[in-house]
Amino acid sequence: MSVIVCGQKRARRPFYLEELGINIYSCQEFCYVVYHHPLLFMDGIMDQSLVDFIRDEFDMGFVAARLEQRIKSGERQEDILLFFMQECNYYTTAELNKLRQTLQSFKKLSVFEYAKRRADYLAQFKQYGRAIAGYEEILEERDGRADDQFISRVLNNLGACYARVFQFRKAMEAYDKAYEKRRDMATLERMYHLTLLDSGLALKERYRSAASGELLERWKREFEKAQEAAKESAGVKNIGDLFEKDSVRRLQGAAKLVEEWKQEYRGMA
Amino acid sequence: MDGLILGLDLCDAYTQLVCDQGEKSWTLPTVICRKKEEESWMVGEPAYASALAGSGVMVDKLVKLVTKDGTATIGGIRYTGAQLLTRFLIQAVALAKDEYNTDKIKQLVFSVPRIETRLLACLRGCGEYLQVAGEDIHIMSHTESFMYYVLSQKREVWNNQVGMFDLSGEGLCYYEMKVQRGLRQTTVMAEKERLEEGFSLDILNSSAGKKMADRILCSCGNRMLQKKLFSSVFLMGKGFEERDWAEGFMKLVCNRRRVYVETELFARGAAYRAVDFLREKSIYPYVCICEGRLDSSVSMRVLYKDQDNQLMLAKAGVSWYEAAKEVELILDGQDYLEFMITPPDQRKKKTVRMELEGFPKRGEKTLRVLVQIGFLDERTMTVTVTDQGFGELFPSTGAVLKQEVML
Repeated sequence: MSVIVCGQKRARRPFYLEELGINIYSCQEFCYVVYHHPLLFMDGIMDQSLVDFIRDEFDMGFVAARLEQRIKSGERQEDILLFFMQECNYYTTAELNKLRQTLQSFKKLSVFEYAKRRADYLAQFKQYGRAIAGYEEILEERDGRADDQFISRVLNNLGACYARVFQFRKAMEAYDKAYEKRRDMATLERMYHLTLLDSGLALKERYRSAASGELLERWKREFEKAQEAAKESAGVKNIGDLFEKDSVRRLQGAAKLVEEWKQEYRGMA
Repeated sequence: MDGLILGLDLCDAYTQLVCDQGEKSWTLPTVICRKKEEESWMVGEPAYASALAGSGVMVDKLVKLVTKDGTATIGGIRYTGAQLLTRFLIQAVALAKDEYNTDKIKQLVFSVPRIETRLLACLRGCGEYLQVAGEDIHIMSHTESFMYYVLSQKREVWNNQVGMFDLSGEGLCYYEMKVQRGLRQTTVMAEKERLEEGFSLDILNSSAGKKMADRILCSCGNRMLQKKLFSSVFLMGKGFEERDWAEGFMKLVCNRRRVYVETELFARGAAYRAVDFLREKSIYPYVCICEGRLDSSVSMRVLYKDQDNQLMLAKAGVSWYEAAKEVELILDGQDYLEFMITPPDQRKKKTVRMELEGFPKRGEKTLRVLVQIGFLDERTMTVTVTDQGFGELFPSTGAVLKQEVML
């Protein structure tokens, strides 16, 4: 239990963190996101634009100068990042040591595993566009060096990301390839669900033998159950509540909601 | 002359004005009078004269009128106490401006018997009318003026304790100042006590009254001065302008002590302080504790570079009305704030905990709050805590908590 003084200035113009799709206004916020999502920030985050931001908006000229020196001398990104976090006096040395260990463990991962974890992380934060790019990069560069099981997992996650941005045809292609690599019934189930979402899609004939009529019936029931549950979700309820309001407040609420959706979609794409 | 440096002692009965630039001083009754037929104002003796002649309507006890948020209706117009006191001060200060032929005031320090919030607001607000910048107006208590006056004298005057009797139309008060010399800092403490035995100065008009007044003062003198080592004793106020009636008392106080009579002590103390405000470095490097100043420090324990540190929020010896501070904090694993109150006697140190009820329960290190502290008087601190949110990650809930903390 402790109290930390926020000594540094808060930014008037925030720094946009593309990785999470959020604006950063204080060095504490920056430290927090790096600490909790190190995978997203351990490569290339500390560049000249961030250093300029630290100097101008946080009023940390001295620290910015030292960061510049370290970047010029070619110091490792994670070391520069940890140096800055130490200067912010937000995390204790023990906490930063823990972060250092986490960063080192990531560095020990294979190139593909590291890239996949990063893309998974982005998908978790609804940064589907960036996650898709990450997965596709792995698939392009694998060059026979990754095993089928790993590639199947990548393709499966790629399919999920495409589905989340309503690109059902591409999602189907990804799942299809994933199933070819590893005959997993869960992948088949997802493909079947895609056919229910998009009537223009159909399960390939050769997969029909793998899924019995009874199984398809069960998956359909599960799909319908999920649809019913979605109708009861908080988001749908909020829209229902909005329509209960008078016309002025309804319009205001609708405008706000559409703006939120637009923001969310921009982050996804 | 590039501007006046003024000390102004403001009481309900009288107002004294001292200008640092010369020996000239002014004493006038704190009254204001408006002519019945026109909006023309007079202050001091002319105000009395106009009221006696029946040509004007007079208002007195202006300080009390302000502190009670009172009003006075003259010629069908209702004036607030603050308006009347401001008009009075404009004319009082004009005496010095006319004398030294300047409109500029570099520094103005008011000395008042008791610092009160409404009076503070009024005196700070009158800067605009007196053509003084807000930061060049300061307000201090009589006790503080006494302290600055004494500290401005030769050191031998205040080597040991210093006492002062203030006998005026407003009663009898006793002031005492002592200096505690420490290794790191010297603390000067002054106290004021209003003596129950106070009497009206009218009794000095008869010989029997004079004898009784002398006996009363002797009794007070014995009580206040006994068994203490005094470097000096000051006699202040209209009651001591003539001292032939106080033969016994004078004999008592003059016994092995230096005794000084100073009838403008509070205004002069204020003027000394006004001069000091203009210096780059104060010539009073002491922790001054008295009425109008905090006698306890308020701090918080914070974590800095892995170590526990004290964050000073208000330092003992600072004027309570100038001790406001705000700080942004992040609470890590706790939903309360703890203030450490440290009085001069460190053994009486205490901790006051403020539970942040109604504040959001967030993840570690994401509860960022703005803590604003201020003081209602030297014993009462007000704390306002506001949820600041944590950027776009955790927007503010708008939770606010206000609490008064007794020091």
